[in-house]
Amino acid sequence: MSGDSPSVESVIRLHELTRKFRTERGDVVAVDRLSLVTRAGEVYGLLGPNGAGKTTTLRMLLGLLAPTHGEVDILGTRVSEDLQKIRQQVGLVSASAGLYQWLSPLETLRYFATGYGLSKQQTAERIEELVSRMGLSGFLHRRTATLSTGQKQRVNLARALVHDPPVVLLDEPTRGLDVVGSQVVFDFVAELRQTGKAVIVCTHQLDEAQRLCDRFGLLHHGRLRYEGTMVELQQQTGLSSLVEMFLQILGRAARQTVGV
Amino acid sequence: MAESLRHSKRAIGSRQVSWWSQQRTFTWKELCETLRDRRTTVTLFVMPVLLYPLLGLMFRFIAVGNAAQLAPEYRIAVETEQEAAWLSSVIQAGEQILQSRPLRSGLSSGTTPLEPKVQFLVPNDAAEFDLEQSVAEGNADLGVRVSFSERQISDGFPGADVSVLQAESSPQSNSVATHLRERLAAANLLTAVNTIRQSGKSFSMPIEEALQWIKPLNQTSAILGLLPLVLLLMTVTGGVYPAIDLTAGERERDTLETLMALPVSRARLLMAKFIAVLTVTMLTGLMNILAMSATVYALQMESTLFGESGLSISLIFKLLSVLLVFSTFYSAILLLVTSSARSFKEAQALLIPLMLTTIAPGLVIMMPGWRLEGWLTIIPVVNILLMARELLEETLNTFPATIAIASTLLYASAALSLAARLFGTDAVLTGSRSGLRDLLRRPRDVSEVPSTAVGFSTLAILFPMHFLASGFLTRVSGTDFSLRLIVSAVLTVSLFAGVPVLFLKWLRIPLKSGARLSHIPVRIWPGIVLIGLSAWPWIYEMIIGLQSIGFQSLNASQMQQVQELLKAWREVPVALVVFGLGVLPGVCEELFFRGFLLSSLRREMNTAAAVIVSAVCFGLFHVVLAGGAAPERLIPSTVMGLLLGSVTCRCRSVVPAMVLHGIHNSTLLLIATFNQQLANLAVGEQHQSHLPASWLAISAVILGIGFAWTAVATRTQTESRMLIPESQR
Repeated sequence: MSGDSPSVESVIRLHELTRKFRTERGDVVAVDRLSLVTRAGEVYGLLGPNGAGKTTTLRMLLGLLAPTHGEVDILGTRVSEDLQKIRQQVGLVSASAGLYQWLSPLETLRYFATGYGLSKQQTAERIEELVSRMGLSGFLHRRTATLSTGQKQRVNLARALVHDPPVVLLDEPTRGLDVVGSQVVFDFVAELRQTGKAVIVCTHQLDEAQRLCDRFGLLHHGRLRYEGTMVELQQQTGLSSLVEMFLQILGRAARQTVGV
Repeated sequence: MAESLRHSKRAIGSRQVSWWSQQRTFTWKELCETLRDRRTTVTLFVMPVLLYPLLGLMFRFIAVGNAAQLAPEYRIAVETEQEAAWLSSVIQAGEQILQSRPLRSGLSSGTTPLEPKVQFLVPNDAAEFDLEQSVAEGNADLGVRVSFSERQISDGFPGADVSVLQAESSPQSNSVATHLRERLAAANLLTAVNTIRQSGKSFSMPIEEALQWIKPLNQTSAILGLLPLVLLLMTVTGGVYPAIDLTAGERERDTLETLMALPVSRARLLMAKFIAVLTVTMLTGLMNILAMSATVYALQMESTLFGESGLSISLIFKLLSVLLVFSTFYSAILLLVTSSARSFKEAQALLIPLMLTTIAPGLVIMMPGWRLEGWLTIIPVVNILLMARELLEETLNTFPATIAIASTLLYASAALSLAARLFGTDAVLTGSRSGLRDLLRRPRDVSEVPSTAVGFSTLAILFPMHFLASGFLTRVSGTDFSLRLIVSAVLTVSLFAGVPVLFLKWLRIPLKSGARLSHIPVRIWPGIVLIGLSAWPWIYEMIIGLQSIGFQSLNASQMQQVQELLKAWREVPVALVVFGLGVLPGVCEELFFRGFLLSSLRREMNTAAAVIVSAVCFGLFHVVLAGGAAPERLIPSTVMGLLLGSVTCRCRSVVPAMVLHGIHNSTLLLIATFNQQLANLAVGEQHQSHLPASWLAISAVILGIGFAWTAVATRTQTESRMLIPESQR
């Protein structure tokens, strides 16, 4: 598999992952034979424009969507074998992550901690740690409906980590955030890397991805076009930035569409 | 972030908290979400507080107005004002005499008959007035011509010769004439009595009469008949918003994805939502009852609406009991519908036809003449409405009520299971075009075992079918026993084997895995046979014990029928009876209960819970007999179900349970056939004796040997949690 190094443990393995959707006009391939590996302490950026298949890939990782073909393996366990065990090991920061407006951040964190099977003592310890690290103490007891976008995102990040998972998936984590809010996310991802977690970040903000990620997978129409570190991508494409690489992919695809 | 977050290679948690503690937290969150929402609060508290006083005032206004309008009007034509005045005085005097009759028991207020309004028609020009013509043309109900005489009614009040002109074949004219004659006669009578007494003679009426009002049976206030429908509709409105908010609302608020990412089954998450919706629905019902009680009490309308006993605690308790059963069912249905919705708007659109289908039968059923019996006991909503009405009228029978409640709860279980399948599925999560229709779509892939939703759905379909089939069997009771045997066998095979096999075929599930028809080693069989031969005394003793404390279901007429049945079956070859009533039911029932149903329950529950649930369902089915119910069979049948379920799980196959059940049934049938003393084993005579202690001791020993043998023989096949592919959860 591309990028596979036997000396570093692979945490996430996708092998020939495919997902098709039935529409009135026939089958649409949202993800097409995607294979990739993410290791502990690595931030993998799954990049692509809207509709590239990023979110669909994350949902298959969590077992929220069943793949049409292929396999997902997290920490040696296949999603098709033990879904609950997989979900226990994964934290998700979803692009469309809303909060329960009538609960406070404290109640939200307690709820999810219980959902992930933490005991009362573990819940209390973990929440105390997260409140301190994520700066939630100023609004911990307020209803989430009254929080700002940045504050809500902090709560979402804390929720994803409440059970200290070794794998964290982030889907468009800076959506709707200002500069300050985005910086919180960047710091958060840096911490995740330092603590040895395997992270997949899905985003179409290529400049942010360049700051956040160690390795990149460029996705277009569900297929992985290029993969590697920044240096490797530059060598493969002869281009210097991710924006240029994507424009090249999109341009090539457009020419194929019109038959040039 | 100043300090690093703690690093670990594996997540913390992972079953550090108990199932109940986790489920309590899930339920608490759903209740918080819904009860803190102001929209729920408005529906729950404000609407009943505003609505019932308004309705009460409107009702009172209309009722009083109608009462005034409903008093009959009598038109009496006379020729002069003097005659009109004299007649009016005589009618009033006669009325007073009639009203002074002693009453044995008084009426409650508001139930005295309405007094007619008498209107005297006096012509402006007597010379041109034709009294006969006036009556003939219908301008007056009665004509009266008064010729005053010298006779006296009392001092200064003359008597008269009165000619009454009554229209032929006119009920109204007849009523007016009767009314007038009664009062004239009363006035005459009083005059006669006074005259006798004035003459110095003592006199007492030879005949005294007194009036006693009797409340007719089966007649209740019209409002009481409508009350169940009104309360159910008001209760339903309370559950609609929470059901939508907790399901479709999750998707609209973008909380569904993170919720589905939890390592918790959809069924558990939905159960928490169900409890929240049920709680709000019941609270709404309770608030409605309280608001209604307060309104009725404040407007002093309790006896008008609810009869002599008024709105008692017992009546409120009955209403709440019915509401609980209905709310359980309706909350499950609401969640089923809203779980397939992708937005609030879509959920509301789906619920409108649902609510209409609730109201329409409700209005029809509330008309007189409908009873909770026959096929009506298994029709959802209709059965509960009828049960509620008969409960309030105090005419409810236990058997149809049991069927109504059991079928309603089974429908609720099926609905919840199906809702758990729909909630958070990829179709709903991603918004692709599918939903409720997916439940009916044949799956493309082969599965190993049926899902829990399918299990409960099959149960919900099979129970009413079993009830109807039992009823059908009573219709062939008068025919040849062989024919009855054949019909019974066909029905048993069709229901308990045919229905699950059809479902397995439709779902592309192999019969062998779907019904757990696995091969078992020969060494297990001796243990199974020993258990099958020795369980019957304990089941028998349980039935006798229950009958001795009052659980006796059959009356004398039904006992007679059973005696005749037993006599008839002795005329038929024993092998046929044993096969038709013993082996076949044993095999088919096991195919369904321990093969199909137990397998489906194991997908969501642990072994013990699945065995218990399947055993209780088994017991419930055995309560339903041809032509009635036998509640004393519930516990023994459930115990038998526990035994059979345990054997199935231990042997990892349903085949031993089939053999065990067949042997057990056959043993009972053979004993009944050949031993007169135990001939009534299955039905229980009043003076049925217990088995000798030696029999129980021997059976206990054999049973113990059988258990031990089976346990040892299956040691290498210990039941572990069935590995269900996660894609099939």
